[in-house]
Amino acid sequence: MNDRRTFLRLVALVARRDYLRTVRRRGFVLGTALLPLGIAGFLLLSSVFMPAALEPRPGVGAPLTLVNQSTLRLEVPTDAQISVRPLDEVRSLMSTGGLREFYVIPSGYPEQPDVQRVVGPSRGPGIEDLQRRHQQEQLLARLLVASLLADAEVPTSTAARLLDPYRLRDTSGDGPGPVPGFQAAGFLVPYAFTFLFVMSIFITSGYLLQSVTEEKENRVVEILLSSVPSLPLMAGKILGLGAAGLTQVAVWVGAALAALPLMAERVPGLGGIAISPVTLALALAFFILGYLCYGAIFAAIGALAPGTREAQQYSGFFGFFAVVPLIFAGLFIADSQSPLVTALALIPLTAPAAMLQLLALLSEPPWLLVAASLISLAAFAALATLAAARVFRATLLLYGARPSVRRIVDAITARG
Amino acid sequence: MPAPAIRPGRGTLRLMADRPHATPPAVVVDGVWKRFGKVDVVRDLSFEVYPGEVLGFLGPNGAGKTTQMRMILDIIRPDRGRIEVFGQPTGLAQQQRVGYLPEERGLYRDVPVLETLAYFGALKGLPAGEARNRATRMLTEVGLGDSLHKKAAELSRGMHQKAQVIATVLHEPDLLIIDEPFQGLDPVNAQMLREVVLERRDRGAAVVMSTHDMNDAQTLCDRILLIDHGQRLLYGRVADVRHAFSSGAVEVEGDGVPTDTTHLASVSDATPSDGMVRFLLRDGAVAADLFRELATSGAEVRRFQVATPNLNEIFIRAVAGDPRAGLVQ
Repeated sequence: MNDRRTFLRLVALVARRDYLRTVRRRGFVLGTALLPLGIAGFLLLSSVFMPAALEPRPGVGAPLTLVNQSTLRLEVPTDAQISVRPLDEVRSLMSTGGLREFYVIPSGYPEQPDVQRVVGPSRGPGIEDLQRRHQQEQLLARLLVASLLADAEVPTSTAARLLDPYRLRDTSGDGPGPVPGFQAAGFLVPYAFTFLFVMSIFITSGYLLQSVTEEKENRVVEILLSSVPSLPLMAGKILGLGAAGLTQVAVWVGAALAALPLMAERVPGLGGIAISPVTLALALAFFILGYLCYGAIFAAIGALAPGTREAQQYSGFFGFFAVVPLIFAGLFIADSQSPLVTALALIPLTAPAAMLQLLALLSEPPWLLVAASLISLAAFAALATLAAARVFRATLLLYGARPSVRRIVDAITARG
Repeated sequence: MPAPAIRPGRGTLRLMADRPHATPPAVVVDGVWKRFGKVDVVRDLSFEVYPGEVLGFLGPNGAGKTTQMRMILDIIRPDRGRIEVFGQPTGLAQQQRVGYLPEERGLYRDVPVLETLAYFGALKGLPAGEARNRATRMLTEVGLGDSLHKKAAELSRGMHQKAQVIATVLHEPDLLIIDEPFQGLDPVNAQMLREVVLERRDRGAAVVMSTHDMNDAQTLCDRILLIDHGQRLLYGRVADVRHAFSSGAVEVEGDGVPTDTTHLASVSDATPSDGMVRFLLRDGAVAADLFRELATSGAEVRRFQVATPNLNEIFIRAVAGDPRAGLVQ
């Protein structure tokens, strides 16, 4: 009983100390503040520049300039940016640089449908030119359809429906309510959360790696181990630094959630996004278990590696597994039930990112897969923590030396 | 609790090391083995450490001293054998009563020294406030009062060493384990550490001290344990060990001391040197026999001393395989 109390007291002591030491670091404060500051910067910049961008720019000429050589009477809407001019005038305008391109409707139109686009001298079209011409083509097609319908004396209302067959209005099944958001934003925001969570698992595990290698390099580890057995020391570190990681994620998620309504005014569709508490809770569970898995591995690496540089190299290798599901993001979108997606959701090292992506993509969590994935992760986390504590104790005192594979295996499989 | 029996080596002389003590031992190491890879680093090692004594843990580099110390501290576990600290198997509660100054030692470089010491004290079971108060007082006592809030990286090497010594004894441990404590210490800090060791011993703490410095071992230790290749070579009181290694020589200073061995039955050889005569006793003779013969010869003896080698000589002889090592087990 006394030993248990001492064990818990030591875990709490180590956790508290490592938490406070980490959150007081300049790097942590900066890293944590960066995302909220970024969002604030976006809001500030958009409030300064966006209204101006949305207003029509004065002095810009009609985007579509036409020469009509046919007998078709063009039905040019009064509000459209279309001008119909004689050929000589547009040529002269182009020669002075006042016009980049114009379109000539041939005399044999509509029997002869070849519309000629005359382009001014240039070094070849850029993205802006291509975008403008695409808009011009759409305007021209609409103008010609409207003119042909008018020429055929189709009633105005029918002509209007032929041009705009329907107008789509979204309503919720419960009656009048908010219109669901723009699809791309609806996907991108939860996806951004996935990325944040994965990044945070990495950063937090990185703190653990840093803490272990620092104590090794500062030669305090032996003093610590003479006061605290490896298991409570490891448990305290994992808890304390995990809490630091959660603090960071909480600040980020809190800032993002607080900013969503403000950003919705500027980014279409954001207002319709809602993250369910269930998804958030599951995301938190995957974050914690993912961190425990990577934390245990990174702590063992910290104990094994002769120095910080080597530790970072080794951890980079394992870190690759965490981002593998993000590489297959396309597959997750196209076929969330693919065997590869399922496998990635069940393999402990890829499960956090895979499941966070699936939770972001699917409207209902795939409960069976969620349960299987959580069990796989929890089992791996428990085994990895035990193995890491043993490796930690057996190899941490080999200052500057690499332990043999045999010694590592012996440490993991030793009794007691 | 009665002192656990320690198996003496076969055919060895039982000296002070195996005599019963008034108090139970603070540490019992009984038949301990530890293997790393294919090498037995510690082989069937047994010894005890009692409260109020300093045990010198001697041996060449790689003899297994640090490994054995780490096993007492429960940092690593033995493959075989029994280790008890304060009558219990090693564990959390025992760790709290031990102060350890490892050979590889340091402090958190970017943390104020007071904060580090308070943390170490708290890990040893002191309430946070008490740990902080003690660290403040002890650091001030050794002249680091102005550096309490300095980061370790900002301290001089000497200040660093003082802080490390204080970290070891902050919680007033009942067992002090110090590994090569004087290595790298400047003379001032070395003296401070000697005083700390003796002060802890006088207060009843058991001290295990590994050292290569035989002068320190001779002046500080009550008993010594010499190991090589993980095995015990010598174990006993410093005086007994030196006696066992005495070469049967007696140094005599005085007037009229005879140098002709024909009149001295107990002596096989006599060599005058530096104003004294060095007598070599015959087999079976003891110093008292010579003393009596000198008295009857009419010599005026001012100094009569059994010549004993110092620990440094004993260390070298024992490691080289001197059979007299077997006498002190």
